Formats: sequence, C-alpha cells, structure tokens
Amino acid sequence: MTSFSGAAKRTEATVEVRQLLEGLVPGEGDLLEALHRIQHRYGYVPRAAIPAVAQHLRLPESRVYGAVTFYSEFRQTPPPETLISWCSGPACYIKGGEGIRLVLEKLLGCALGENTPDNRLGLHLGQCNGTCDNAPQVWVDGRVVGPLTAAGTVELVKGLKGAAGRGRRRRPAG
Amino acid sequence: MPSYADLLAQAEPARRRIEALDRPRIAVGVDTSSVAAGARETLAAIREAVSQRGLDADVDQVGGNGLSFANPVVEVAKAPGSRVLYQNVRAEDAAEFVDAALVRGEVDNRWLLGALAGAEGVKRMDDHAWWSIQKRRLMQDMGVIDPEDIDQAIARGAYSGLERALGMTQEEVIAEVTSSRLRGRSGSDFPTGRKWDFLRTSTTTPKAMVCNADEGDPGAWVNRMTLENDPHALIEGMIIGGWASGADRGYVYIREEYPLAYERVVKAVEQAYERGLLGEDVLGRGFRFDMKVVRGAGSYVCGEESGLIASIEDGRGMPKIRPPFPAAAGVFGQGSNVNNVESYHSAAWLLRNGLEAYLDPDTGRNAGTMMFTLSGHVQRVGCFELPMDATVRQAYEVCAGGPPAGRRFKALQPGGPLLGIMPEFALDLPLEPEAFKERGMAAMGGGGLVFLDDSACIVDLCSQFEWFLEDESCGRCTTCHGGTQRMVEILRRIQRGGGRESDAGKLRLLADTLRYSNCIHGQAAPAVVVNALTWFADEYEEHVLQRRCRAKTCKGLIRYEADRTAASRPQHAEALARANELCLAVAAGEASEACLDCLVCRELLPDVVRVVDAFESGVGAAPEPVSVQPAER
Repeated sequence: MTSFSGAAKRTEATVEVRQLLEGLVPGEGDLLEALHRIQHRYGYVPRAAIPAVAQHLRLPESRVYGAVTFYSEFRQTPPPETLISWCSGPACYIKGGEGIRLVLEKLLGCALGENTPDNRLGLHLGQCNGTCDNAPQVWVDGRVVGPLTAAGTVELVKGLKGAAGRGRRRRPAG
Repeated sequence: MPSYADLLAQAEPARRRIEALDRPRIAVGVDTSSVAAGARETLAAIREAVSQRGLDADVDQVGGNGLSFANPVVEVAKAPGSRVLYQNVRAEDAAEFVDAALVRGEVDNRWLLGALAGAEGVKRMDDHAWWSIQKRRLMQDMGVIDPEDIDQAIARGAYSGLERALGMTQEEVIAEVTSSRLRGRSGSDFPTGRKWDFLRTSTTTPKAMVCNADEGDPGAWVNRMTLENDPHALIEGMIIGGWASGADRGYVYIREEYPLAYERVVKAVEQAYERGLLGEDVLGRGFRFDMKVVRGAGSYVCGEESGLIASIEDGRGMPKIRPPFPAAAGVFGQGSNVNNVESYHSAAWLLRNGLEAYLDPDTGRNAGTMMFTLSGHVQRVGCFELPMDATVRQAYEVCAGGPPAGRRFKALQPGGPLLGIMPEFALDLPLEPEAFKERGMAAMGGGGLVFLDDSACIVDLCSQFEWFLEDESCGRCTTCHGGTQRMVEILRRIQRGGGRESDAGKLRLLADTLRYSNCIHGQAAPAVVVNALTWFADEYEEHVLQRRCRAKTCKGLIRYEADRTAASRPQHAEALARANELCLAVAAGEASEACLDCLVCRELLPDVVRVVDAFESGVGAAPEPVSVQPAER
C-alpha cells in the first residue's frame, strides 16, 4: 500500500466520487452517466475514481476501466487548458480538412489525442455534428471556428499560443 | 392526471404567444447550427434592443429551421397572420434590425428572406425554390416553437397523436403504422409496423422502446434537428410505440457530440413527466410509461442497435452476437424495439394527422416525406424535408444550389462511410430506398447526403473512410478490425505512389472476407472501396498504374513547385509578406524564411506555387517492395 498521506487523499477522492454518484443504481444503465459526472467534475476520469464507480454500480473494475478506454470522449489524463478539436467529417475533409490537421500537428508538435508538453494546448479528434456550413472547421473549447484555411489555421494557433491572443478567436482573416 | 383537453387548455397562452395574438413576436432560431453563427448573441441583443426601446413584444428563443446557410434566422410576427423570416441577423445588427422591422415597420429590409404568411407585397418564402419544393411536416414546428417549452409544442398539436392512439387498440395502431409503409429511417428500411409487432408478440417482459439517437454517420444531422428543435414529437412517438407494443419504458440514447440535443431532450422529458404525459398514468388513461435519457460517450458502433444496447448495459458498446434479437432479449434482457429518431417522429406525425394525410404523396413503394441534410461541395448547406417522389438532383440543385462556381458534380456519399459512394447516375435517382438498391447499394441511408465535386479524390476518400472505420471498430472480431486495418495500409501505400496491379485483387479479397464480420460495421466497411473499383475504376487505376492523382490531393503523388522569380513581382508583395508571416516552417522553428514549398503558401500564392501531379517514370514514385502473391482461386 502507499503512504498514509496517499491513502488519505484517496479516501477524500473516494468520498467525493461517491457523492457525485448519488442517485445512480446498478443494473439500470447508469455507468455512462457515472463516468460523465466524474469527467465533468475533474475534466477527466482519474484512475483512482474507478474503484468507487465499480463498487457503487456493482461492476468489476475491469469493466469500468474497459468503458473508460472504449469511448473516445472519456479522458484518462487531464485536459489541456485550451482544446482544439479537429473535425474529421467528410464535408470538412473534402474542403481541406487534412491540411488543417497537418498544420495543427506541426505547430503544436503533437498528434490528435495529445497535448503540448506544457499542457496549454491540445488536439482532439472531433466528429461531425452537422455544422457543415462552416466546413472546414475546428472547435476551440467547444466553439466552432470556420471556415478555415491552412493559412488561417497558422494564424489561429499563433493567436492561441501568444500571450495577448490567448482565448477565443472566432474567425481569423483568410 | 390531466387529460389531453386539460393540457390543451393550459397551452392556450402559449398558442396566443406563437400566433402573436396579443403582441408582436420576434423568434430567434437557436440550435447547434445557428449557435455556431452567433444566434445566442443575436437573441440577447434583440432582447436588449426591445427592452431599451420599451417595446411591447415577445422575444422568444425557438428551434432552428434547417436553413444553415441563412443563420442566424429571425422570424417576426408583427400582427396575427403575418410571419416574415429574416436571415443573417447578427448581434451587431440587432438595434438596427429592431428599429427597421418593429419600430418603423419596414418589412422589406436588408435581412429579408421571405414572408411565410401575410405581409403582402413582399418577397415570399415560396418564391425560393428550395423552400417551395419542401413538404415540411416533420419540420412543421421547427423554428416555430421553443423546444424548451412544452406548452408551445402542445399548442401546435404535440401529443394529439398519443391521445388518439390511446383510444385505439394495439393492433389498430400497428395496422395504421403498417399501412403507412413507414420503414426504418436510419437506412435499415425495416417496416416499422412489423417491428413493433415483433415486440408486441414477444413473450419477454418487461418491454422497452429504445430510440437510437446516436446519429454517428458524418454528414447527417437529421435526428439532431428533431432532438433539438421538436423533442416532444420524439417522446410522443415512443409513447405511442410503447402503447402499441406493450412496452412500459423507453430509453433515448443520444450521442455525446450532441450536448444541446441531450439538454433539450432531458428537459422535455422532465416537462412531460410534470404534465402527466410520462409516468404511471399517462394522460389519465391508466397506462404507464417511463423514459430514461442515456448520454453516449463517443463511439460510432453505438449507432448499431446491439452496440447501443450493450452501451446502455453498463459497459463497452460492442455489437453483440445474434440471435437472440432485441425483441426477445434486448436492454438488460428486456424485450426491446430499437428505432431511429425519425421513425418515431414519423409515427407521431402519422397518428396526429391520420393515414390519408400521411399517404400523400404515395409513390407506390413509399409514402410521405423524409428529412435530408445536404453538405459538402454545395452552395447551400442545410436540412430540407422532401416528399418521397423527389430526386437526388432536386435535392442537389434546387435545395443545395449545386456545386460551387466552376465546379462539376463528381460523387455522392448518400449515408455515411458504410454506405459507400456513387457516381453521376445517382443524381437521377428518386429519393427512395428501392431506387438505390436497384443500382447495387445496400440502402439509401438516413438522409445525410454529402456531395463531392471534381476537386475531390476518390482514392483519398476511400483511405479516409477506411481509416475512420478502422478507428471505430470495436475490436471483437479480427475480421473487421484486421480487415479495415489492412485496407487502410493498402490504400495509403497507393497514395504514396506504391500502388501495385495486385492491389485491386487484394482489396476485393478483403471485401469478400469482411462479409463474415459479426456486425454491419465490418460487413459494410468495404463498400466505399468496392464502389470505387466499380464506378471510379479509371481514377483508381490512374493512382496505381500511372502514379497520378488527378485531383492533386494524394500527398505522395504531388509536390509543390514555387516560381521564385514570379514570387518577387510587385503584385505578389502583400501575399508574400503574409506568407513570410504565416510560414509554417518558420513557426515550427525549422526555417528562417518562407520556403514556398507547402500547402500554406499554395493557398496564399496560388499563381506562384503550383502543384505538380505527374511524374516521369522513375521520378517521385515509391520503390516497389517485394511481396508474396496469394494463390489464384
């Protein structure tokens, strides 16, 4: 077992997780809701939360872990400060989406699903949700930015990286 | 419990509000599409402007109406019987807009889209062919009611179908649904009446109606329209189905990527419970129906009915081995009926309006209407509701406005990556599943039509779709996850210039083998590749045998060449400065000045950077690796 302080932290976390799961019951299809609540609270699903979920819903821990890793929207590590989600849908793709992805990966120095080393920015594989009049687009912290060009993407990322330009840029020129 | 008549009476103020009987009404369409265009800001700004001017007018949030290209859309009902739509009303326009439309009464202003009713002498919505061709039945209340206000839905007829169904027997309801010829709207095409009857006659209890609101096929947001803009139509359809099949509970499974839809459906379910439309005594008729909304977490295969069921059952959403089928053993072993959002919505419309109204038009094979979302290389992106006798060409040209200027139609993706891709003959097909099946397609799809023009590369599209399908494969059967992986490898090698004559044979062998996958995901995964080999054979062969990508897309088959003398000419000075500023290589710390060798400079200096797509033999092509050929069959 870990040190006493580690155990104490785990206990606090467990108590908090149990409170989050209030009202959810085994055998009624509440696992997804349980994980959503935890991710909403912490920004991701900490490994340490899994035993409490498993206990509450009377499931094996492996099953809970399986769900966390199966669904693409559950994170196992903390999110970046600013998340850029790249749309992989066909309308965005045929209008230059691949070029946007290559620019994003080159400028952030990471692949989809990863963060920059300082965790300030991160990339995420996004799915089409029907805002195709903005193709090709990305989402910056959930907000649609598009139509984009490769050049416009360079501008967008520079703006997000720069001290003054931190935050939302809706439609970069070009 | 309140009766239906009680609910109608309670909804009377809402009806008066919608019809602007007591004061003018300004309605701003708010859904995921219009939010992206700034509709929430428009709504707030108009409220502010109206309040500042002390005007007596209702400013309402309503749902989106599908006209993505016109967002943010605002409807003004200045007086009863007068309804005018305005387009592209931004927050910064709000004050001017309110002054023009309300204060000065100028119906015709720079935002005018068209009049729906009243307002004589002004351009009509029906003057737009993309509006008049529609038969907006399922969409009749989208953009009219606030989806977060159940009274507005009831005022417009919500739950009148349920009221009628509860006065019929189970067999009578199912007979009506069967006679309508309503078939599964996700593309499964299975007769809905018969499916409900399976559940009715199943011996497994309890029974559940399940709604597949996962809508994972990219390019389709038909279901999102119902979920966000008329959720009560869905709830009504599910309760009707429950009544007909003997189910006492329903699950709505909504994909994670639709957060607003989830919020609004949850709210609608709460309000339905408050009004006694859900719960132990629906409409006071002694019938019990409960509803649970489940939120997905990102998985394409959870759109497959058994994957969806598995996902609700506290675990990974991996499609199951069948039999047993859902009616015999579904969610947690309950007898279950899984239907698409639009199927339930259509059933509600049917019960509200009756068989005769539904069967118009009737093509003989199909009746009624279906919603289509149009996107891709088109001039107008949006959701349109068309009669079953409309054609693909009408959707493409009349509704979506055809290709961008200077471009030609090349291909149609009628329903997500699993359905494949069709060439020009698709344009002449009626929008009926049979027409598509007659031409070799597995189905017509759920209505998400993506149009491609001649700037798209079919091989690149195949590679992208197969990658998506590989990524989303659940992993249960090697056939699927291995087969898709192998197809991606071959296609990418072709895109890099390493195509071989034997590749077509290998792809066909993989396609043949993938038929043995456990579920439709693997079974249909090769469709787009098979379609490409059949209908776009010359483009495919060009990639393999000539190492050429005519659409100048496949990165291994093109390179950029900059004419640096041209770059220094005065007319390019501004663009060149911008190129230096936005140089990707400089930004990535790899160079000190723009090399003009990539996509970014190609965009900024199209006259300077050209794309070379043909290579002399031996130059630019990948070397041929040695391989062992499979034995001939």
